[in-house]
Amino acid sequence: MEAAEKQELLKLLGEKLNQSILMYLDNCSRCGMCIDACHAYASTGDIRLSAVGRAQNIRRLFENYHKITGKVAPWLNEAVEIDERWMERVYDTAFTCTGCRRCMVYCPFGIDTQQIQAIAKAMVLGADMDPKPLTMRAKNSISKGQNFQQTKEKFIKELDKIRAEFCEKWPGMEPEKAIPIDVQGANVLFVSMAEKPSILPTASILNAAGEHWSLSYFEAVNFGAFLGSAEMAQQIYERIVNEAESLGAKNLVICECGTAYRIMKHVIGKRSFNVMTFLELMDKYVKEGRIKLDKSVVEGKVTYHDPCQIARNGGVYEEPRNVLKALTDNYVDMTPNRLENWCCGGGGGLVIAAEPEWRMMTSRVKADQIRATGAEVLTTGCEMCFAQLKDVNDDFELDLEVKLVSELVSEALIWE
Amino acid sequence: MADKFWYVVMVPMVYVSVAWCLFWIVARIAEVLRSPGLPRTLRIFPDGKSLHEPPSAPMAGAFWDAFTMPSVRKTKPLFWAFLIAFHIAFLLLILAHLDILPQVKIMPKDSEHMLGNGVVGVVITVSLFYFLVRRFRTPVREITVPGDYLILFLLLCVAVSGDIISWGNSWTDSGFVMTKKDFAGYLDSLVKFTFADPRQYLSGAHYSVIGTHVLLANLFLLYLPFSKIMHAFFAVPLNKLRRG
Repeated sequence: MEAAEKQELLKLLGEKLNQSILMYLDNCSRCGMCIDACHAYASTGDIRLSAVGRAQNIRRLFENYHKITGKVAPWLNEAVEIDERWMERVYDTAFTCTGCRRCMVYCPFGIDTQQIQAIAKAMVLGADMDPKPLTMRAKNSISKGQNFQQTKEKFIKELDKIRAEFCEKWPGMEPEKAIPIDVQGANVLFVSMAEKPSILPTASILNAAGEHWSLSYFEAVNFGAFLGSAEMAQQIYERIVNEAESLGAKNLVICECGTAYRIMKHVIGKRSFNVMTFLELMDKYVKEGRIKLDKSVVEGKVTYHDPCQIARNGGVYEEPRNVLKALTDNYVDMTPNRLENWCCGGGGGLVIAAEPEWRMMTSRVKADQIRATGAEVLTTGCEMCFAQLKDVNDDFELDLEVKLVSELVSEALIWE
Repeated sequence: MADKFWYVVMVPMVYVSVAWCLFWIVARIAEVLRSPGLPRTLRIFPDGKSLHEPPSAPMAGAFWDAFTMPSVRKTKPLFWAFLIAFHIAFLLLILAHLDILPQVKIMPKDSEHMLGNGVVGVVITVSLFYFLVRRFRTPVREITVPGDYLILFLLLCVAVSGDIISWGNSWTDSGFVMTKKDFAGYLDSLVKFTFADPRQYLSGAHYSVIGTHVLLANLFLLYLPFSKIMHAFFAVPLNKLRRG
């Protein structure tokens, strides 16, 4: 590795050393409480994949370049030099961490492995070793925001097709009103995954509830966050923030996407609009009687996977359960659930960036947990989890029906 | 020669160790405080209720998490029991050492024992032994670095030498028995910077055991600011980050 490149990468490390990171790096007592908390370790038994195993890569580098003990007695805390080998090792551990933060629940100090892995990811990105599928998508998102006017026409053309499909499935509405855009002062600005499966059911629910809403031009998912790049993540979420502010939207409702929700709810700071996930909005509609659901539509025992970024890292636990209990009398929780639920293994962009074999290898505990419920329908509130759980269902032959909560609600809607 | 060595260990080295320890603890805390904060929350949500309202007393929650370690209690109860026993005993041990000062009067002046009659030291020793053995077992062994063994071994040596002083005082009828008053003389001279020879207060062959205990404690103090024991100062702020 060239000296200049080394310096550049070490500069990236230095820039990341804020208050929380310094405390996270310095205070781990390596008690091992986080080891069993990681689904990747629990499924594979590979210590490098445990939270502490992953974090040690960064700690050893930090020890070498930022601590007196690293200079006086490098053997003491196993300080390491930055080189190609270290970069390869750190790539393997950084981009296999889903950032679920389950380890944080069990650590006596609450050390946030996701934050430590953000350093690793920044350095991997700096060394141009980043996972290209994620980077490409992040750049596309940014470019879409920058060339908004040019892409708008294409967006509307695609949307018209979806509108036509909507009106065919749920006749009686004008296409433009069925999926409206550019609505000034809308009560809800809905940010979808920009894909038909995501828009159709949610649009049906919003319309059934008589909502005054508008569809966002932009997709919710934030690939910049998956890459651990705060700058890219900001460029991506600012597009949505600008749109919501220019329309004067009262509520920014994020589709079933965990990372997008957490960023908009907990990262962007206080704005002129309220942020909620579509799960919360559906719960509100059910409670207010704005939508009615036919309990006979969903057959068999139903269970729910808490998406890490919506539940543990977002605080939304009961809302999806309320909705599901309005849908069926045959609901069962997984064990563990809510705060301690196992990660699906597809978060942090792994569903896009990681090999399916890898994702399945680290999802054994998830498969066991789902199997133990005896459920026939598996639901979740995050599209990334949804994609991963479908693969888990196939690979582990769980023989379940995997659905998003919004899909189930849309199917069970009673139109009046 | 030996007398000179023990004098250096028991007087000047104590000052250097304490000053070094305090300086670096302050420096380490200042380093963190001077660093930029993160403008967003790093909290996790123990329950759903807190989503729409400010977290209920996050500082109280952080203290609770730091001092009771609920996640450890739930998943590794034996480890938790030793951790709690160790930390309580450690606090009592600090109190017991302060009690040696003539101005503090928890135990009587002529007491041959410190606070806890030696039990506190035994609890610490047993706990440390457990922590050390635990480090030799998979999977904790795989994540342990030499520094982890060193700090535990150092603490264990300090504790065992302390236990020997404590037991020595009860093993013999004459010659080795030292009361709180004897130790108080030594500690008082340190506090008052008299630079007096500790031999004046601590007589007999027992002196080298006390010297060894002080030497190990000095080494511990010299290493403490660079060890993970700094978590004593950061456990609450760290838990506060998690609590929001």
